[in-house]
Amino acid sequence: MMSLRATALVAVVLSVIAVPWLQAQDSTAGRPTAVMVSGPDVGRRAPTFRLPWANREGVGPADQPYDLALDRGKTVVLAFYPRDFTSGCTAEMKTFAAQYDSLFGPEVVVVGISTDSLETHTRFASSLGLPFRLLSDPRQEVARRYASNDRSGYMRRTVYVVGPDGKVQYRNTRFNALDPSQYAELGAAIRRSRGG
Amino acid sequence: MSRWWLAVGVMALCVLGTRRAEAQESGIAVGSRAPAVVIKDLDGKPVDLGQYIGRKPVLLEFWATWCEVCKALLPRVRAAHAEFGDRVEFFGVNVTVNQTIERVRKYLDSEHPPYRTLYDDQGAATRAYEAPTTSFIVIIDRAGKVAYTGTGATQDLATALRTVTAQ
Repeated sequence: MMSLRATALVAVVLSVIAVPWLQAQDSTAGRPTAVMVSGPDVGRRAPTFRLPWANREGVGPADQPYDLALDRGKTVVLAFYPRDFTSGCTAEMKTFAAQYDSLFGPEVVVVGISTDSLETHTRFASSLGLPFRLLSDPRQEVARRYASNDRSGYMRRTVYVVGPDGKVQYRNTRFNALDPSQYAELGAAIRRSRGG
Repeated sequence: MSRWWLAVGVMALCVLGTRRAEAQESGIAVGSRAPAVVIKDLDGKPVDLGQYIGRKPVLLEFWATWCEVCKALLPRVRAAHAEFGDRVEFFGVNVTVNQTIERVRKYLDSEHPPYRTLYDDQGAATRAYEAPTTSFIVIIDRAGKVAYTGTGATQDLATALRTVTAQ
């Protein structure tokens, strides 16, 4: 007869095996699924990375990728999002652009990050007139380090604010692009980061 | 025997917990109780959805003036309202992000959507219903439970509305 503790242990082990299997059965294209990793928490050092970029004017030089380490000393907003030209992402990026001055200000660096190609990024940034760069992370390597990757092939919508000291000052791992209160919360975090 | 039930219970909780995490961008779960949030209308008057939820079927559409998909969905919403409008309460929840109330009024004047428009400037409904995107439709049955959720321009609203009005 198994003890109560052994029974519970077996249950947990079975759950650990069963849950990823169930997720795999339920992983449908275009519908983000769970990612059970944490990413850097507030107060922890933000992982540095380099990624190719594009803006509304075109694709950035291949030998000059965006490098987070070079922005040490500035407040940086990393906005991971699922896909260019989709409704939620359009809402988020349009709002960032429309409220750029009040939300971020001139000394804050904003970058959007998705799996889209640089060419798609250019078309997206151009269509919305985005005043910031979009980075391409097709294999979700950087997204994985920020717990923003997803097996669906599209990133999860998350926002990180990295302070001038290179540490995470704010993060929202469930950023809802349609919720006005989340932009207000982000704006407050940026003001705190800038010491305002 | 009871230990096996304990094991099953632990597994079920783990699986349910994971499925909850999956819901980040898919909206409120079908079968869950619809939140009775209070949202303002365009004149700033509070509208308590609790006055309708649990009393009659309700359709909520989360929309925006800049949402092309919402515009493409409008004929289906109009058709649904024409068929079920006498038995179902239709609300259009404007998500307010990146648009002004003036622009919303202008849109309503030109498109005449068949629902009562609410202006979710605090994001209360967006959060409560976990609206993942505009064109997100939630249909709530007479008992106050979410019977249908969907997004996109080609949603089959009639089937869901036929079900909730037949109950």
